[in-house]
Amino acid sequence: MSAIQPSSPTQADASFRAAVRLLASLMPEAAIATGSEPPLETLAQATEPPRTVGAIILEDPAMRAHRVFEPPVAQFAAFLDGTQASRTLYSCDDGTPIVHGTAAAVIRERRNMRLYTRRHIVAHRIYANRRRVPAWLWTRLAESGMELRDTAEDDGGDGPHPFAARDAAIHRLQRDREHAEHTLAEDWCRREDRPLLIDGGISGVEPVARSSCAVGVIKSHRTLYAEGDALVTIFALRRGERSSVFRVASDWRTPVASWYLRLRDRAGTDPMWGLVRVEVAHPDRAGEHTIGARADEVSRWILAEATPVSLPDARWDKMVYGVRDCEEFLRAVI
Amino acid sequence: MTEMRDVGLTGAAVAPLGRVVATERKPNTPHEFHFWTALDSPVGIGTIVRVEGDQPVNGQIPQIYGIVVEGFSYTDLATPLHDVLGHDGTPGGASLAATHRAEIRLYTAAVLRQMPEEPLQPVPMGRVYLATDDDVWVALRMDGYLKGENPTGIPVGVYRAGGTDAPIYLDADFLIGPEAAHLNITGVSGLATKTSAIEWILASIFAHFPEKKGSVAAVCFNVKGPDLCFLDQPGQIDEADKSLYEKCGVPAEPFEHVQYFAPYKPDGFSLNTLRSNEQLLGNVSSLTWGLREVLQYAEVLLNKDDVDAKADALIDFIRERIVDRDFTDQLLGNKSYRVRSFADLEEWFRDVLSAMENKGNEGWRTHHVATIRKVRNRLSNISTRCAGLVTDDGGVSDLPFGSFQDRTVYVIDVASLEEDAQDLIFARVVTKLREHLEKRDLGVNHVIVFVDELNKYAPTDGQDTYVRKMLLDLAERGRYLGLVLFSAQQFRSQVHRRVVGNSGTALYGRMDADELATPGYAVLSPAVKIKLATLEKGQLMVRHPHFTQPIFVRFPRPAIMRGRDGAEQYPQAVDVELDAAVLRSLRTLDPSLTLGWVREAIGIREDEEVIRARNATLRERPADVKKFFQSQLRPIAVQHTPARPMAPAIRSAPTDDPYGF
Repeated sequence: MSAIQPSSPTQADASFRAAVRLLASLMPEAAIATGSEPPLETLAQATEPPRTVGAIILEDPAMRAHRVFEPPVAQFAAFLDGTQASRTLYSCDDGTPIVHGTAAAVIRERRNMRLYTRRHIVAHRIYANRRRVPAWLWTRLAESGMELRDTAEDDGGDGPHPFAARDAAIHRLQRDREHAEHTLAEDWCRREDRPLLIDGGISGVEPVARSSCAVGVIKSHRTLYAEGDALVTIFALRRGERSSVFRVASDWRTPVASWYLRLRDRAGTDPMWGLVRVEVAHPDRAGEHTIGARADEVSRWILAEATPVSLPDARWDKMVYGVRDCEEFLRAVI
Repeated sequence: MTEMRDVGLTGAAVAPLGRVVATERKPNTPHEFHFWTALDSPVGIGTIVRVEGDQPVNGQIPQIYGIVVEGFSYTDLATPLHDVLGHDGTPGGASLAATHRAEIRLYTAAVLRQMPEEPLQPVPMGRVYLATDDDVWVALRMDGYLKGENPTGIPVGVYRAGGTDAPIYLDADFLIGPEAAHLNITGVSGLATKTSAIEWILASIFAHFPEKKGSVAAVCFNVKGPDLCFLDQPGQIDEADKSLYEKCGVPAEPFEHVQYFAPYKPDGFSLNTLRSNEQLLGNVSSLTWGLREVLQYAEVLLNKDDVDAKADALIDFIRERIVDRDFTDQLLGNKSYRVRSFADLEEWFRDVLSAMENKGNEGWRTHHVATIRKVRNRLSNISTRCAGLVTDDGGVSDLPFGSFQDRTVYVIDVASLEEDAQDLIFARVVTKLREHLEKRDLGVNHVIVFVDELNKYAPTDGQDTYVRKMLLDLAERGRYLGLVLFSAQQFRSQVHRRVVGNSGTALYGRMDADELATPGYAVLSPAVKIKLATLEKGQLMVRHPHFTQPIFVRFPRPAIMRGRDGAEQYPQAVDVELDAAVLRSLRTLDPSLTLGWVREAIGIREDEEVIRARNATLRERPADVKKFFQSQLRPIAVQHTPARPMAPAIRSAPTDDPYGF
């Protein structure tokens, strides 16, 4: 199997420390970040409100639980995950933050039960509202070879409140991270037909959403695709049970088939303990009657990834080990 | 994953097997560094590696050589409990996991050498390579004594790791002297490691000792069993051993020149050695000493309670004025004494004491009668305690001091002797070696003395014996004379630290865990200790002045018949009558001798006389053995019974006498 070399990072050293050094050289008297600040991701509040959404059920007349009878079987050939990290480098006189952001993604391929890096992307950039940053500073930053992202056009990016500018930077970085993930996922789906487990949804990019080898596993449930009795059914799922398959669609995303799957017995008060939502390519009309079998098959694959557990990660109840491994890798390289 | 291949500084394409890592909690220092490897790397405890730094120092890329002393392996588990939870408490469930946890092999290496050596800096980050043969040379500073016009390398074994098969050399200047000297080997009993290692190293020394440094011989004390009794007989070795011999350039052969020495048994005519089989007697000589030889070392056999100042004065008087001198004294009348043997001395004592008794004297020449009796008792006792070694007749059969031969092993078999006799032999032989080396007339320039069971002869605690004092002196001053101590013991911690401390080279075979727990091994890492406790036969850990860290090597089985095999193949001769014993000894000089001739020659003579004649013949080694042997026997006066005078014939009655009866 041919291995794909890691993508080349930006030519200039664009790491956080290099950016700090650059700014310190440009503005010796200014208060520049020291590196001890926590990432902005830990400070920013989630903006998406929790909600429930009704969904079209593809498999059954109504939402119900299906026992996955066949034993788990490990079929995923690789795992994909991305991460991002951002820190404020400097605050201009009007409070406008200049943010350093790193977006990264990796595919870790499983060979002989061990995970190896297939390909990874790490991109460092500087995010700021160009209109509010002194022109000379923007110019000097651009001349240094660092890649700049103007957040002026992003949602809230041009507002006067520094937090709005900061959130705009984070959202822009998030899109960059998703782009990195999509790049890797597309590349896999173009070259491979072996199953790839993607941490998160697959509907964001059409070739991936339509690929039979991409399986998305979503751990966060701020949007629940069930209401009323259907929601009760989902919360009542026991270990090794899945919900009926339903369709997830929106105007700006490719429709996919999805279902809920309980990886571990519910413990404590959290109804979503051990609960993941799975996304696979939506079947065409002729194949809709086989979606149940497909859901059983993929569920068996995911249940097989429940061991080894992803402890000590706090989300270990929902996180498969391959994804944790991706996160550990990315933590080491960014 | 594609295999990364780098071109090292040597120019050859080699694959790095690890990367140096350092954290604040586990930093690298100038003497220690850490690196990780792939899970399947051939690195293990004792592996020598080379680090290539990334950043030049003074224009030179630093290269650091290290030896792995500790290894760690762990996964990303925070606690073992997480694994239990992950498998619902069922160990069998672990096999169902689709993925192995991320796992690390992290090693700690002790620095052997840094290039450049100045400035001495902490080990930098860099790639780690398996050491090649050349790297091993540099890492162990062997390049200093293996290159140039006068190489002084003595192979001690082969370092083997990950495909590297490099001979390891000791520096003869630091093994035999004069820079440092002495070798000590320690290890548990029963694995034949200690004896085998000594035999192998002697063979290596004989093959590689530089001509320019002169000649070398070995004197080995066989203190137990048949260990050293068959050094001249070929043993069985396999192909792996042969390749090790080849690698080290040592011929896989038994020792060419070996001379054996053993005292007699108390009967005075059977050799007290396991090498008494008639087929092997060609190079076995007896070891017997007389009064003069023993009296010099009286303090070896007499403890401090025996020899107080008064007794010491009398012994000194006897040594100076009596032994081998014509002695007369008014007390003893006109009788002249010339004391040469224990028998003569006993006669002298008897006469002195009876003369004092007759005259009612309490003292003689300032010596009190009680002192004289005590010294008589102690000295007379020596010939009993060391029977077979010490002769009453004063006959001496000794090592060839003055005509030692180069590359020859002289084995003195003391295995079956009493402790006193062993001490006496050791003390006298070492002293003689020392005296001759001081005078430069031993016949060789260097002598290696091998002593096993050193914890018995030079223990850490216990009384300060003459033998221990000699060993300390040998360890501390022997190297200046060319007198080198190779010693072995099971427990190094129980040997006097000045003896082991003066051993420039130390070898370790498999060790006992209790021994490894003693403070002397505190410098070794736990992993090295475990490796020592589980060493295979044929493996050693070597410490040498040039090596900054201990090195593990393999050495071949000696190409010598093992003691056990030899004892089976050449069983010890059964004790025989005097005539057969005499024949057995004299046949080594003249194979044509027969038992019938010996019996005829001995006739009805006393055993002592026959033994004396036999000993004299063996000492003299004459061309005509028969003639010489017979000349040593006093002629027997033939008794001619005078003819009986004829008695007058009884008159007989006439045959026709009717009254005759």
